[in-house]
Amino acid sequence: MPTTEIRLQRYRPEQDNAPHWQDFRVEYDDSTSVLDALEQIKAEQDSSVSYRWSCRMAICGSCGVMVDGVPKLGCKTFLRDYPKGLTLAPLSHFPIEKDLIVDMSRFLAHLSAIKPYLIAEAAPKGKPYRQTPAQLARYKQFSNCINCGLCYSACPQFGLKPDFLGPAAIALAHRYNLDSRDQGKSERMAQLNSDNGVWGCTFVGYCSTVCPKGVDPAAAVNQGKIASTLDGVIQWFKPGKETSK
Amino acid sequence: MRINKQPPPQTTPRRSDEPIWWSLFSAGGVCVAMLVPAIALLVLLGIPLGLVSAEQLSYQRLHALVFHPLGLGVVLAVIVLPLFHAMHRIHHGLHDLQLAHGRLAKWLCYGSAVLLSSLALSLWLTSG
Amino acid sequence: MSRKPYQPPMPASWWLKHPAYRFYMLREATVLPLLFFIGSLLYGLYALGQGEASWLQYQAWLQQPWVLALNGLALLASLFHAWTFFVLFPQVMPLRLGSRTLPAWLMVSAQWAGVLLVILALWWLLGGLDAHQ
Repeated sequence: MPTTEIRLQRYRPEQDNAPHWQDFRVEYDDSTSVLDALEQIKAEQDSSVSYRWSCRMAICGSCGVMVDGVPKLGCKTFLRDYPKGLTLAPLSHFPIEKDLIVDMSRFLAHLSAIKPYLIAEAAPKGKPYRQTPAQLARYKQFSNCINCGLCYSACPQFGLKPDFLGPAAIALAHRYNLDSRDQGKSERMAQLNSDNGVWGCTFVGYCSTVCPKGVDPAAAVNQGKIASTLDGVIQWFKPGKETSK
Repeated sequence: MRINKQPPPQTTPRRSDEPIWWSLFSAGGVCVAMLVPAIALLVLLGIPLGLVSAEQLSYQRLHALVFHPLGLGVVLAVIVLPLFHAMHRIHHGLHDLQLAHGRLAKWLCYGSAVLLSSLALSLWLTSG
Repeated sequence: MSRKPYQPPMPASWWLKHPAYRFYMLREATVLPLLFFIGSLLYGLYALGQGEASWLQYQAWLQQPWVLALNGLALLASLFHAWTFFVLFPQVMPLRLGSRTLPAWLMVSAQWAGVLLVILALWWLLGGLDAHQ
């Protein structure tokens, strides 16, 4: 089996004050993923190496890492594409907890702030919510998010201003705002209208490039800018409503 | 101990004034993309390089074209809106490069766009 | 057990680290030559208002190599800006016909057709056609 070099960024909070690099040599074939390689390192070379993973099939969104400086899912990235070796580091812009594990609580707080769930009257008893294919098509592409956080690592505005709600949270807010069954748009707009909402974005667009599920958060955020502008114009003509601060 | 704990934004955050600047930026962006290539090519390069006919570009004819009432729309589309477009990007660029952020940078950026726009409008109004 | 998270710094040079960020900064930097372009127009507007002598002076100023170079750069920058801006348009404002979205390539080419149309219209307005008669 061929082998390749992996430079792994280590940070052990008990001993280290800053991250450092450690080299490992791993065996690989055409089906070896970055996650497989990490398992190999942990099982055979250094059991103290820490990383997150769960499903191994790009659904759970746990194994995000920077591969050669690019945010990727470890389970969906293969060593065969890096014949000269690769570097692995924890997702950018998040505080590093240990080795490849980051603290995502800020992202999760932003996610819960935009209420990413249907806000609606209960459907009549025994009846489903009805939705036409055309209504589904409006938001479907934004509903594939798996909350892996790769887009936050791709977003320099989140790095510069950690209070920025960020790509995934805004994309999910947009997804529910576009849903014909949802009535919670007004509750979400207050977050989106702020400097840390859609207006924190400068359309770098890299979030959409790195998304492993083909979601286009940059489109959602910038469609959100139009929605927020219209919302502001409507509020401007209805000054009585703004007092509910 | 949760060092990075930050309270999720419970209170309603303040509405941003970015819609105003972003709308001007976007309108300016359309004008820059649609009109600036033509004017840069045919006027600022076209006159010195002789890409357009010299006889037709007489002072009187150009003066009549620019200071025609419709010329005000041209001034808005190729000077005023592009100014707001440019200063919006510079404002965000200063933040991106961590050179300046906050009220002063914002006032300076959009203030200079307002100032230069007034200059353009007064030049057009007083010379027409 | 206590935690000791490490917050990596965000240096001002962050945008040099990845091609996508360098591309973004190049896009944002298109406004620098644009500012020179606007300055040239402001000067031109002033000269045109001042009289024919002043206008001839302005034409001579336009002919200087450094002015030509900067305005050439402004032309290239505006075309690059147009390219990036036109691609974003279908993303920000997807146009729908029923349940279908207009294909992005159609919207992008329609915008380029607009640029071409403006160039032809201005050429006609400035009497470019008469030069050969």
